[in-house]
Amino acid sequence: MAELESRLVNSFATVFPELEPPEIPSVSMGSLASWDSLAGITLLSLIEEEFSISISPDDAAGLVSFGLILDYLRKLSPEDAA
Amino acid sequence: MTMKLAEALKVIQSVPAHAPPLQVALLCGFTPLHLETFLRAHLCKLFPGRSPNVQTGLYGDLIGNVQRVAGVSAAAVVIEWPDLDPRLGLRRLGGWEPSQLQDILGEVNRSCDLLQSGMAAVARNTPLVVCFPTLPLVPVSFSPLARASEFTLELRSRVASLSAALSHLPGIRIVDPQRLDALSESRRLDVNSDLSSGFPYTLSHASALAEVLAGLVLNPQPKKGLITDLDDTVWRGILGEVGVQGISWDLDNHSQIHALYQQLLHSLAASGTLIAVASKNERSLVEEAFAARDPILRETDVFPFEVHWGAKSESVTRILGAWNISADDVVCVDDSPMDLAEIKAAHPGAECVLFPSENPQAAYELLERLRDWFGKDKISQEDGLRAASLRANAELLHGIKQVSPSAVGDFLRQIDGKLTLSSQKQPLDSRSLELVNKTNQFNLNGRRFQEAEWQNWLNAPDAVFLAVSYRDKYGPLGKIAVIAGDLLHGNGVNSDSSGKRRLRIRTWVMSCRAFSRLIEYECIRWLFDKLDVEELEFDFLPTPRNTPMQNFLQQVRNAPAEPHCHLSRAQFLQSCPASSHVVEESPNG
Repeated sequence: MAELESRLVNSFATVFPELEPPEIPSVSMGSLASWDSLAGITLLSLIEEEFSISISPDDAAGLVSFGLILDYLRKLSPEDAA
Repeated sequence: MTMKLAEALKVIQSVPAHAPPLQVALLCGFTPLHLETFLRAHLCKLFPGRSPNVQTGLYGDLIGNVQRVAGVSAAAVVIEWPDLDPRLGLRRLGGWEPSQLQDILGEVNRSCDLLQSGMAAVARNTPLVVCFPTLPLVPVSFSPLARASEFTLELRSRVASLSAALSHLPGIRIVDPQRLDALSESRRLDVNSDLSSGFPYTLSHASALAEVLAGLVLNPQPKKGLITDLDDTVWRGILGEVGVQGISWDLDNHSQIHALYQQLLHSLAASGTLIAVASKNERSLVEEAFAARDPILRETDVFPFEVHWGAKSESVTRILGAWNISADDVVCVDDSPMDLAEIKAAHPGAECVLFPSENPQAAYELLERLRDWFGKDKISQEDGLRAASLRANAELLHGIKQVSPSAVGDFLRQIDGKLTLSSQKQPLDSRSLELVNKTNQFNLNGRRFQEAEWQNWLNAPDAVFLAVSYRDKYGPLGKIAVIAGDLLHGNGVNSDSSGKRRLRIRTWVMSCRAFSRLIEYECIRWLFDKLDVEELEFDFLPTPRNTPMQNFLQQVRNAPAEPHCHLSRAQFLQSCPASSHVVEESPNG
């Protein structure tokens, strides 16, 4: 689980380099001004690349915070979450 | 291996904040999204020290984006099928009925005409890299997918015609689909992404395409010379062991890859690449092999031959001296890893590559790499003269060494040197820009220019441009020098406090093939006489390799070369030798 979260933190840090790692787990689209629609697409594309997954448009619409994305990834990889 | 998105973002973030910008336009009809990111990242890698800024246009308006582009150093135009007719995309529903196919072809024709005129207009001032559709056609035709329909063939034919027509225009570089195929093998169309964001590419395809586009924006200068071994390289077999009749380059002896290598070298020589031989062999045997076996690589393609039993690195040193170029500009090909290592240790800048004589597949891939290293936009008149003029130069220098320094002028007058000067600024002369961008030794400051930057500067009314061609009894050298600067008037615009009419020389280069002929003095003499200036100011900067320029400035000024140094007419007249050449101005101005 820690590895999954750490990889996700790295993905966020790549797209939002202005964030310090401790800040990342609490960010959401509403709390981060630079998380606009373009950054959101870049972030999800990066996560698809990093985790070798494909995120459907329906799912993508709900992935608007670090916590929600982490939960989503845990559901896709239950063995990592154990 | 294509660049990943995470890597691309990190590359972009690593650019220093105050690096000078490099403005490049990415013109497409889809959402540029990750293609923009990858293009920027690849440009960052190719232009270290610059901060690439990729400008994009409006969604769905490729033709308008092309027409509006301005203020950039280069532009990449990426055309996909929906740009030619929106019915060929996934985001518009105009119908795929058989009855509409003819109308689609008509619309594609119209779009191609508009794109052709738009791109031709832009390319006059801005270098354009153009990529034609890379994505599969949507299933618009009624034929099964494996069968090419009349409709799809006509469609592709129209695009191929546009591509061929544009390729003739200076300033336009077309992406070769074969190169893109080699880099982008996997699925290219991302339906999800196209439908949700208007970006139609998979990440891997976007990365590969961006790499190709950035490479063409950079338009790297080709390597200048290739130094090759002979045994198990140019031919199969060790000449000293198997004899002249034992070496081979043919299908029967399973040595066809050596024939292909020779064929490539012969082609490179004909395209202006310098070819030399560095071989540990008996000189007489090599001469006999070239005379008796009639290889595809002609003896006249090669200058010089370094054939002896001494160290290869010493051969390379002498070859570089004969060519008057640096190791950075050459590729050494040899089948011996040890010899390559020895060359590399002495000449770290040289590309040293193994000829894999036992592996035809790897050897073929080497041929592709060589073509890439030495590839050029077009073959100039100078390319055809280069090897011959180097031979003639060796003869000339030998002649100069035979006479006393005070008699050099007399000697030069005997060789019937003739300079032809052209100050015509339009249209863009790619040979002049090539000289500016690849000359290292007689170079005022090492400054390089992008095409658009060069053209924009020369378009200024006070910009002065001079291109110099040369020939003598040993043959023509072609265009060998370029001077460009700004006239500074005593009053009015560009005035200075001295009140003198001056020329500030910002760029001055001369090919090393033209050294030892006092051509540099003739150039200065012409500038003083024809431009009626009282003083020259040189934007001189020392570089690791421009010692010949430093020496000349020291000699003509009788003072060390330094940034913004000056030369007055009186100073010049004191130091210049008598004219040794006939000087004529080009009829074209």
